[in-house]
Amino acid sequence: MKCEEFEAIGLDAGTGRISSGEEAVAAAHAATCSRCAALADSWEAARLELSVFAGATRQAEAPARVQMRLLQELRAQRRPHQLYRRTGIIAAWGLAAAASVVAVVSWQNWRTEHARLVNHRIVPAVNNQAQSSPAVDTVLVADEDSGTFTPLPGALPLSSDDGAVYEVRMQRASLGALGLPVNEEGGSDWISVDLLVADDGTPQGVRLHQNAAQSLTAE
Amino acid sequence: MNVLGERDDVLLRRAAKGDEIAFTELYRRHQASLYRYALRMTGSPWAAEEIVQDVFMTLIRQPKKYDSDRGEVGAFLFGITRNRVLKHLERSPREFSLDQETGSGSSGMPVDLLTPAFWAERRERVEQVRDAVLSLPPEFREAVVLCELEELTYEEAAQRSGCPIGTIRSRLHRGRALLMARLELLRDVPRRASAGS
Repeated sequence: MKCEEFEAIGLDAGTGRISSGEEAVAAAHAATCSRCAALADSWEAARLELSVFAGATRQAEAPARVQMRLLQELRAQRRPHQLYRRTGIIAAWGLAAAASVVAVVSWQNWRTEHARLVNHRIVPAVNNQAQSSPAVDTVLVADEDSGTFTPLPGALPLSSDDGAVYEVRMQRASLGALGLPVNEEGGSDWISVDLLVADDGTPQGVRLHQNAAQSLTAE
Repeated sequence: MNVLGERDDVLLRRAAKGDEIAFTELYRRHQASLYRYALRMTGSPWAAEEIVQDVFMTLIRQPKKYDSDRGEVGAFLFGITRNRVLKHLERSPREFSLDQETGSGSSGMPVDLLTPAFWAERRERVEQVRDAVLSLPPEFREAVVLCELEELTYEEAAQRSGCPIGTIRSRLHRGRALLMARLELLRDVPRRASAGS
């Protein structure tokens, strides 16, 4: 081993940083080189002093006040986060509540609207039906039995299947216009009759209701 | 919640969310080694205290600065400490504190029950070594602190210093030579305090 090599690794003897073989070679060199032996002695003394210094500061640690300051800082940092978080939670719940209210109101509106539309659909249908039967309150479909219809003068024989039957309320005198004989004494009386009307709208027969028939029979 | 078995990065994540227990555990694990390094490098308990506080403040305020892909939390903290120490040394390279207090309330030295003279001599010797270490240029001082005082291997010291092992060995070699020269000088020259008396 040369002196330069001893300076490079010889001072690490006893530290575990060099192998035992290198330590042996370094020791052999120091035994033959007074300069390197003096260097090794000097370093050994310095190392002892360094170890005393190291021991003096080995237990050193930051004062407790440092930890206190840091924890204060940590709390100060956390406070705005907590505030933001709380605000966020409140805002989220508020939004959720608002969304729920909107959903409920929308559903309610939809239901109301839907019900109204359904009613609308039914009512026009009824109205249409009523319009197609103009005498819904005054004209009623009479008994389909046309056997009792009295053919009007000049009318062709017509089955009730071929025409429409209307219940008509009229003054008795009006029967005269249809060509039927009428007692003038009760001409102003209101009677109900069934009219058999052909497709072309001309009345083909008449059927008197019981009371009207009785009054006619009495005549 | 038990934090003793948690990894540093887990503790850091929890601390970033304001978990005081996690932060305290993280602080407890690393503060002493960082403080000792800063103290041995600066020689000033006040500076070391300031540096350690600054390091952990950075951790509190900017926890996202830590990137787990780049290493352990301990290495990250040491890196910040080292930067702060070097900045401190740049600002006040010759500012040596003669205060023997190491910041823990006591001197950090074991209580010696021997004679006051022995205690005084020992204390004086420690001061001499400390002055000698502090008189080294920062890069040599760091190599001596890490390899001789912290007793790290060359690999560990190189990793912490962010330089190749060869550089650390070279710096240590130079640092040792300078240190031996200083200590020889200090052994021969009476201390200022004793010279005045």
